[in-house]
Amino acid sequence: MRLPKRVRDVKQQEFTQFYRSDQAACLRAVLVSVGDRQLAEDLVAEAFTRAWTSWHKVSRHPAPRAWIVRTALNTRVSWWRRQRREVAWDGTHEVEDLAAAGSGLDPALLTALRQLPRRQREVIACRVFLDLDTGGTASTLGIAPGTVTAHLSRAVTALRAHLVNEEDLEVRP
Amino acid sequence: MSDHDTDTSAVLDTLKDSLDHIGMHTSAEQIVAAGRARQHRRLAGTAAGVVLAAAAITGATLNSTPPAGDGVHVHTVAYTVDSQNDGTVRVTWDKQRYFEDHAGLQEALRAAGFPVLIKVGEFCRGPQDTANLNPSGVGPAVENVMRGERGGDGKVTFVFTPAAMPAGTQLFIGYLSPAQLAAVGGNPGSVERLVPSSGPLTCTTEPPPAHLRAPGGPPKK
Repeated sequence: MRLPKRVRDVKQQEFTQFYRSDQAACLRAVLVSVGDRQLAEDLVAEAFTRAWTSWHKVSRHPAPRAWIVRTALNTRVSWWRRQRREVAWDGTHEVEDLAAAGSGLDPALLTALRQLPRRQREVIACRVFLDLDTGGTASTLGIAPGTVTAHLSRAVTALRAHLVNEEDLEVRP
Repeated sequence: MSDHDTDTSAVLDTLKDSLDHIGMHTSAEQIVAAGRARQHRRLAGTAAGVVLAAAAITGATLNSTPPAGDGVHVHTVAYTVDSQNDGTVRVTWDKQRYFEDHAGLQEALRAAGFPVLIKVGEFCRGPQDTANLNPSGVGPAVENVMRGERGGDGKVTFVFTPAAMPAGTQLFIGYLSPAQLAAVGGNPGSVERLVPSSGPLTCTTEPPPAHLRAPGGPPKK
């Protein structure tokens, strides 16, 4: 059924505002989760397109950004199944960093992220880039709050050596 | 705050800062156009592949070949777009309704592999493009990538040939707005020219001159 023009205009205005304000956070969250700039762009574009087609539902969602990221990550799984395209994520060997080339990303950072287990990357994505607390992250990822805490702790430990100069951490007297 | 909390915050803040410059290259308008095209496909009872659609949105080249038979077939009340086995794309549009969703038509054509920029009421060209158009509003070399065929029922079908598109160019289609159509007596109804696919375009709202057709002349677009 075709919507009246005024309703369509309101929908487009709302959606456009949502996209412009939240696309970067969603992209960064998905990028951290999948470790590939172009793939992340494709997944987030697909998720926002689905959000547009279901805007009546997404606009009422308590955490629309989390909906986008969850949809993008679910889409990644379905694309994998569809394309039978597997990517080495286990971090047991160095892979040529084609995804970082020309993207402005730090190859060392991408490598460090890729070496994290998938769940740890997803927890990082929710906590850091979606500003979700432990409960919100647990709800979004469908895992227990205690599991979120454990994953976050392990991820921070693994990333510390790559991201932070030890001297910078000595903030106490 | 404990040392552990401070440590965690420092690591997460550093990670956050390191991706601070990252943002989508895809515009909101492209997302909306793709969403509309998808809704139209659903309404028409057809479904193009999700992977193909996403690649069309972002301009990405995916590493896998789409499944066989995954061409674009979009049928709406305003237009139809159908990929053919020979690589061409057959398109029809309803002159009374294409204003309503020219963005959807543009996105459907792009999804079918044909680079195109469609506007209504604006007529664009690149810095090196000639301003010359034939009386029907068609620029040089357009006939190589787009041609009209009149069917037995009198309807005109446009055949687009992606393979014939020169590298680095796209087809610009500028439909005249209702006011502009009235000013030129309904002909030409649109402007077509090849323009650069990247870089700035110069656009004007000045329509092309009216085309006074001789009786029995070629069909109006």
